[in-house]
Amino acid sequence: MSLLALTFTLLFVVITMLLSVWQKLDLEKDIAIGTVRAAIQLLAVGYVLQFVFQSKNLLFIVLIICIMIVVAAHNAAKRAKGMSGVVWRIILSIATMEILMMGLLLSLQIIEATPQYIIPLSGMTIGNAMVACGLFLTQLKRETESSKGEIETLLALGATSRQAVQDVLKRSVKFCMIPTIDAMKTVGLVQLPGMMTGMIIAGADPVEAVRYQILIIFVFTSSSAITSMMLSVLCYKNLFTKDLQLKKWSE
Amino acid sequence: MTALFEMKSLTKNYWQTETQMECTYLFSDLTATIDSSERIALLGKSGQGKSTLLRMLALLDNADSGEIRFNGVQAKDMDTRVWRMKITYVAQQAVMLPGTIEENLKTVSKLHNETFNDKHAQKLMKDVGLESIDWAKKAADLSGGEKQRIALVRSLLLAPSILLLDEVTASLDQQSKAYVENLLIKWSEVEKTAFIWVTHDLEQAKKVSERIWYMENGTLAVDCKTESFFEHQHSFSDSVIL
Ligand SMILES: Nc1ncnc2c1ncn2[C@@H]1O[C@H](COP(=O)(O)OP(=O)(O)OP(=O)(O)O)[C@@H](O)[C@H]1O
Ligand SMILES: [Mg+2]
Repeated sequence: MSLLALTFTLLFVVITMLLSVWQKLDLEKDIAIGTVRAAIQLLAVGYVLQFVFQSKNLLFIVLIICIMIVVAAHNAAKRAKGMSGVVWRIILSIATMEILMMGLLLSLQIIEATPQYIIPLSGMTIGNAMVACGLFLTQLKRETESSKGEIETLLALGATSRQAVQDVLKRSVKFCMIPTIDAMKTVGLVQLPGMMTGMIIAGADPVEAVRYQILIIFVFTSSSAITSMMLSVLCYKNLFTKDLQLKKWSE
Repeated sequence: MTALFEMKSLTKNYWQTETQMECTYLFSDLTATIDSSERIALLGKSGQGKSTLLRMLALLDNADSGEIRFNGVQAKDMDTRVWRMKITYVAQQAVMLPGTIEENLKTVSKLHNETFNDKHAQKLMKDVGLESIDWAKKAADLSGGEKQRIALVRSLLLAPSILLLDEVTASLDQQSKAYVENLLIKWSEVEKTAFIWVTHDLEQAKKVSERIWYMENGTLAVDCKTESFFEHQHSFSDSVIL
């Protein structure tokens, strides 16, 4: 796409702005900020990736993945305000998932060990894991509040913290797996996934694009499962005080 | 000789909201002891903090000051889980765990890796008047009174030293109530289990207890033998209204 063509895409922003002014949605400022940020972030990433692809230095790849994980963890942790040390737990969960996933993909030679494959695939799985963590934590909070009676009943019968929240954790993990499993069932029928669309536009053979999409979807499913289960193991103790009482989840 | 259970100067402050800074207490300076297999009825108006006290004794809530001891050992020096298995709280609102009646009854043996004593459980179910209930029934579908009795049996299977019973017959008919009362009196004698039974029913207190604790104005206003409580009832405050 030429730079001139890219400039023309601003037309879509102008249309949105006009609609906002006309309908008094009062969104002009947010749209402007969003436009500038999206443009700068994506262009910067484009140049960074170009640089990394050319340098072929492993260190840069690792650095980029680390930044992705940290940003994702900070974002997901917003869903669990009031839970201390949750960022670290999320980082650990996502990092473990990433190492496992990439380890498998590379050692089985499913993908080539080049930045062109590693970075975009990592970005997508980490993004997916971030959503899973956010959903897990939101649901965990809801479940602990609504199952307070159940948890305390178990505690009163001498349960350990683990035993007292086992069902709650299971339900929360299940909940955050639903979107990826639903996506898996309807993919291609309801939505054409972004990556596949992108590859096809960039000139790839649709069948080749589909193969990668299948890979992505399977990886997404297991990454949600691994990350949320790992997070549940790391988090459950945090729901209790050291006297084995249910903590109040302060806002 | 150390008493089975002691509480000394227990105080619970009101749950504070952020705006209200002054520290008023729900109750303060509760001091009492319990001997083994002693049956106590805890009376007091609604909102006096009876449930809060029982939850505190089961370590489900914290006291703001004071101490509790079991066989001379302070709560904080004992493993919380061991404590809760010895001093077991049966909640005012019976909570059924997900699953069937059978799964609920087996909770304790599952939690503590023990074999489930089927005969014993069946006997207890019979004693509370639930002889003919189908154990495969979903616990969530039961009536309030059925839930309450199953929750009680579930806790009895733990065979604690002290039972903290929070209005456990509140939603039962007269007959089932009598079943539960008789079971618990017998249980206390045979198993040497003490209990603190919160109730608003004076007849029940008279029947099941040897001693009465009466909470009023944030303190344990009366702690005496059941007979003398009912003899002198008129002389305590204006009269005990529950
Ligand atoms: N978790 C809590 N947060 C805020 N306030 C609470 C909490 N638990 C209890 N309270 C308050 O403490 C007071 C005592 O409650 P508690 O349930 O102990 O009373 P009770 O004597 O058992 O009453 P009842 O006979 O109606 O069961 C009540 O005013 C109640 O609102
Ligand atoms: Mg109560």
